[in-house]
Amino acid sequence: MIKQRLAELVAEASDNAVTAQEALDSAVPLSALGLTSIGQMRLVDAIEAEFGVEVELTDDGLAMLDDLDRLAAFVAVP
Amino acid sequence: MNVEFAGPGSGTAPLTWGQRAIWETIERTAPDDHYFNFGRIVRVPSGVSVEEAADALARLIERHGSLRTLLDDGAQRLHEKGRLPLLVHEGADPEAVMAGLEATRFDYEHEWPLRVALITEGDAVTHLVLVFCHLAADGLGAEVAVRDLRVLLLGRAPRTPAPQPLDLARWQSGPDGRRAAAKAAGHWAAEHARMPSTMFPVRVAEPAGPPIWRALLHSPALNLAVRAVAAGHAVSTSTVLLSAVAKLAGRATTAVLPIVANRFRRDTIGLVSTLSQEGLFTVDVDRPFEELLRSAAPAALQAYRSAYHDPADRAAVVAAESERRGEPVHPNCCFNDMRFTDPGPEPCTGAELDRALEESTLTWPMSQDKLNCRFCVHVGPEGVSLTADTRYLPKPAMERYLLDLESMLVEAARP
Repeated sequence: MIKQRLAELVAEASDNAVTAQEALDSAVPLSALGLTSIGQMRLVDAIEAEFGVEVELTDDGLAMLDDLDRLAAFVAVP
Repeated sequence: MNVEFAGPGSGTAPLTWGQRAIWETIERTAPDDHYFNFGRIVRVPSGVSVEEAADALARLIERHGSLRTLLDDGAQRLHEKGRLPLLVHEGADPEAVMAGLEATRFDYEHEWPLRVALITEGDAVTHLVLVFCHLAADGLGAEVAVRDLRVLLLGRAPRTPAPQPLDLARWQSGPDGRRAAAKAAGHWAAEHARMPSTMFPVRVAEPAGPPIWRALLHSPALNLAVRAVAAGHAVSTSTVLLSAVAKLAGRATTAVLPIVANRFRRDTIGLVSTLSQEGLFTVDVDRPFEELLRSAAPAALQAYRSAYHDPADRAAVVAAESERRGEPVHPNCCFNDMRFTDPGPEPCTGAELDRALEESTLTWPMSQDKLNCRFCVHVGPEGVSLTADTRYLPKPAMERYLLDLESMLVEAARP
């Protein structure tokens, strides 16, 4: 499922500073778990390449990068 | 003796964006372009013979196309086979050997972009000295090569296939690459329309000695403060530093060029090549630091993304804006976070900050005649340094800048 795959991408983008399980379980923003700005950039590139979407680097785009549910909804929209 | 290498693969491609960026800088610096050569010393595990070391080097060069690629009429040409001279120095000082190999410019069209020497003691190899041509690798690219070399010296093979510069060059000139380039170019154009023509426009002094000086602030308090501010505002330590540097640069709208590693994509993370380029960070700083930080996070990410750009697009943007204003447009103000690891967000107490403040020192480790920038902030393990052209920012102002940076961050960090 998409959320599981996104959690794996978070783990890869953060060099496992945030594990997939932590990303799935967390109630706090991913950046608070240890996803750095470099990790966010890697995550954006991985999501864009895999799902063919474009992530806007705005306040709202950044808030979305902190929230796996919002990201899942975003990439699921065709 | 020589290292004989044989493929796989050959071919030509345009230079990648990162290669073009460094090539333009090399051309501007010639004939002093040996300045960009840089080396690494690899300690060799005991029991490795000269032949085994040479074999590991051959496998390394075969694995990473950039190490057997030469400049060819403005493009890059990957060669399948070749022979790299291998110098052997019995009992020599590796640092001295490295300095010797770094001291002369590369012949970019005819000389392999890697110089190597073995240091031996009797039959055993103790060190490998590598000197890279900057067209073949940047610092992080060299780290990838060194890591692979350590594996190869143990007689093993790296586990995954290496990404190749020729593939990246083709991606960049293909439809996906052009789309990414167009997006980055849009950012450069939009920011150029609102940024000042330059950050330090006025020549205020005529120094008697060399005009370029470096001030280095060693400040454990600043390090603590940066981590605490990052924790308090949910931004990275790098964004805190970039925002603080911008805030104090002295203009209402500040433009800074952060040097970005550009290793965000899967096809670039493990690539031996030169990928780092400048991005453009523009921000309105005429407001409290805490408020500035909030808008800095998206601006920093946009700046990082804009660093992955086609230098030709950027040159066109700069030329058009300079033409429109009738003066050259360039920030002449850069920021390089050279820390290999980010210490991460971490709160601290006021007492810890006070204690740490007593350990701050400011020194002047370097001066020179030329620099193609006016204001360069470097963050490294030894502290935060400012290298500036004192004709535009005299030494007392440089010192004040670094001390203000420290006190602003420390105040922002106090709980």
